[in-house]
Amino acid sequence: MFKLINTNSNYDFLRKKTIAMIFSLALIILSLGSFVTQGLNWGIDFSSGYIVQLKFNQDLDINNIRNNFIDNGVNDSVIQYFGSNQEIIIKLQEDSNFNEESINNFLINTLQDYSFEIIKLEFVGSQIGSELREKGEWAMLVAILSILIYIGFRFEFLYGIGAIIALIHDVLITLGIFSIFQLQFDLSVLSALLAVIGYSLNDTIVVYDRIRENSTLIHEEDFTKILNVSINQTLSRTIITSLTTLFVLTSLLILGGAAVQYFALAMIIGIFIGTYSSIYIASSSLSFLGVGNKSE
Amino acid sequence: MTAYPRWKAFLVIIVLIVSFIYSLPNFYPSFPAIEISHEKNNANENKITKNIIQNLKIENIINKNNKLILKFNNTEDQLKAYRALQNSKIQEPFTLTTYNDIPSWLTSINAYPMFLGLDLKGGVHFLLQVDKNNIQKNLLREIEVDTKKILIKNKYRYQSFNKIDNKIIINFKDDKFINEAINKINESFNDEIATKDTSTNLNSINISLSQASIDRDITSAISKNLTILRSRVDELGVAQPILQRQGKDRIIVQLPGLQDSTRAKGILGSTATLEFRLTKGTPEDWYNSKLSGIPTVNSSALYFARDKSPILLSRKVVVAGDDIKNANTGFDSATNTPAVFVRLSDYGASRMLDTTKKNIGNRMAVIFVEKNKQEVINVAVIREAFSQSFQITGLDMKEAQDLSILLRSGALRAPMEIVEERTVGPSLGKANILSGKNSMYFGLFLVGLFMFIYYRLFGVIANIALVANIIIIISILSIFQATLTLSGIAGIVLTVGMAVDANVLIFERIREEIMNGNSPNASISSGYQKAFSTISDANITTLIAAIALLTIGTGAVKGFAVTLVIGIMSSMFTSIVGTRALVSIIYENKDSKRLSI
Repeated sequence: MFKLINTNSNYDFLRKKTIAMIFSLALIILSLGSFVTQGLNWGIDFSSGYIVQLKFNQDLDINNIRNNFIDNGVNDSVIQYFGSNQEIIIKLQEDSNFNEESINNFLINTLQDYSFEIIKLEFVGSQIGSELREKGEWAMLVAILSILIYIGFRFEFLYGIGAIIALIHDVLITLGIFSIFQLQFDLSVLSALLAVIGYSLNDTIVVYDRIRENSTLIHEEDFTKILNVSINQTLSRTIITSLTTLFVLTSLLILGGAAVQYFALAMIIGIFIGTYSSIYIASSSLSFLGVGNKSE
Repeated sequence: MTAYPRWKAFLVIIVLIVSFIYSLPNFYPSFPAIEISHEKNNANENKITKNIIQNLKIENIINKNNKLILKFNNTEDQLKAYRALQNSKIQEPFTLTTYNDIPSWLTSINAYPMFLGLDLKGGVHFLLQVDKNNIQKNLLREIEVDTKKILIKNKYRYQSFNKIDNKIIINFKDDKFINEAINKINESFNDEIATKDTSTNLNSINISLSQASIDRDITSAISKNLTILRSRVDELGVAQPILQRQGKDRIIVQLPGLQDSTRAKGILGSTATLEFRLTKGTPEDWYNSKLSGIPTVNSSALYFARDKSPILLSRKVVVAGDDIKNANTGFDSATNTPAVFVRLSDYGASRMLDTTKKNIGNRMAVIFVEKNKQEVINVAVIREAFSQSFQITGLDMKEAQDLSILLRSGALRAPMEIVEERTVGPSLGKANILSGKNSMYFGLFLVGLFMFIYYRLFGVIANIALVANIIIIISILSIFQATLTLSGIAGIVLTVGMAVDANVLIFERIREEIMNGNSPNASISSGYQKAFSTISDANITTLIAAIALLTIGTGAVKGFAVTLVIGIMSSMFTSIVGTRALVSIIYENKDSKRLSI
């Protein structure tokens, strides 16, 4: 048998729970601080304006393009490489002076030294943007509530709270990392975040399931011991599953092209945080919430 | 080992065979194509078609079921040929399509490839919103007319009748009729729209639109517009268009493969129609009216032709767009210029006949009406009486084609405004799908390799289940003709992760059981049994989240949720039932000493 984790592993995860809690709290505070000070870098899906994708026949220095834009009076645009250094994506804030034709003319004037091809020219109205945002948030709230009900029904109400704590922990920190590094938050990242919720839950429930099983099997007064045994028993599974999912996501990140890179990145961050939280946070919060005390 | 139920193994085999067959169409290559219908005369023999085909050196021609299919290797060639056909005088209808080389036995059991979303295929996405103000205005106008009728019929004398903003205010001399009138009005509209104005001392009734009646009108306008838009889109010749109602007052139109968004935009949002009116006065009067700015002839209105020359027209419309039953494009036989051949409804025809009979020698004008623009496109002397069918010239070929599409589909019930537009180039689509596919294959390869190294024979079993899982997902998406988008592919990626997880859970349990000293067969049984509750709890929780997203989310979120829901179900089937069947086939009846795990 080929093993990554020793079958009789007996790490005392719960002993490090204070360190883990402090670490997580620090990350959460950092994330919240970043939300307040710089917010999220909303992608075009959530803000209004035009998005233009251009393909050039030569390698570009993006700073020259940016200067060209500023010289021509547009300084609130976002210009990024897209996939390669021959392709760029430009985000133009909504402006009454702009329509598709004037953008075309503007581009031809501004970039007259280059030869390029317009691959994509999209407009997203502000109303649509805000509606999408609202709907996305709604979807998440309903998802969280229905999960809480299901876990409360299958396990115990406190397990549900514990799972939601782990979940909010994962989502907050993943979002926080997107905010701290000002990575673009678009609809594909929202999709990824939803997947992270699913993944985080999946991980947490596997551990909880073992805790529930062990609570009836092991007659142990110390609930933390049951927690430790359960985490150790599921440890190799937790690592293997994270690893295989990371295989797919890493290849998506590296080979999948610009359109899915933020999706893959968000999920990879989410899976790291999720794996960590299912080991340290999910069960620590159970003992913190006082599950198992009543049996004593 | 206890015998594994035969019927379960049988079920797995049947599901796999069906899924395999229905996923097959996705593996046949598809080509951009143009479809030319030829019902009576064989288009192959048609000179024009033949010329075009020869000029463009189109080699791949398939002739089947009264259809001529021209196959191309890329969209550029396809569009070139399409433009050539448009500019030609070809009579047969032709459309842009995608041609798949699917064998007929597959299509006969309704096995078609899945739809690819715009982000994968390229095309145009529009979001149209109904003009609420227009609906309110029309509704208020209807109410105005009906209310006046009621007041006059019942002899309720009013002093003034005013329409201000979205309100009608009727003033009376005293309050004698007020309550009675309010009741009559509300009764006739079956709605509490009329109220007594209590804010002033005047004796007046306020009529304002109720939200319910506006909503009702929006709903009916949307469903009518949806039908009209669908017929317009069909006329544009786009393969697999998607038209969906979104929310209360919006319609999504997605046209995969379409590159020229300006034409689509013009046609989708257009309220263009025709009007026929008699002219008034002489050309001299027309120029005098232009100079003075007001019509010099009684009951006439000043119009302008395309060359800005003035024309005086009767205020009475002889025939309007609503009376046009059918319209086609062709060429005027005498002048060889583009023409729209119009066919009127019976009512329109009799009106036209009456008018033309009485006005032989006079002139009739055709007016092109669009939103706030009215333009005379043609003025001609009536030489003889005509009724049902006639032709209109004065437009170029493109205009004539677009106008006949609009006339055929009918006028929109309420104007719609394009609030969102996205164009995705085909090269972006192609690059997307290729890199998406490749990264997926590579990721799967890594997972498969790892599983084989880690779990040996059981890893191979898990890999077989993984491939089966993907085939099932593709076949379900194909059967329901769901649209696969990039976020959908992302959903599949997550599912793959979870399918592997289910097998990892089972195999780790089996390993634990072996460690505890159980026999191989007993370990398999209890491994599956114990892992089951974990897997189902984890999957059901994710499923609940996915269903929440499916019902609330739109666009990318929805696309993700659809594949996730399908994926979770099929992965539970393959990784629990499927692998169990394989394991029992291998280890049943064998008293193995060790498991290859």
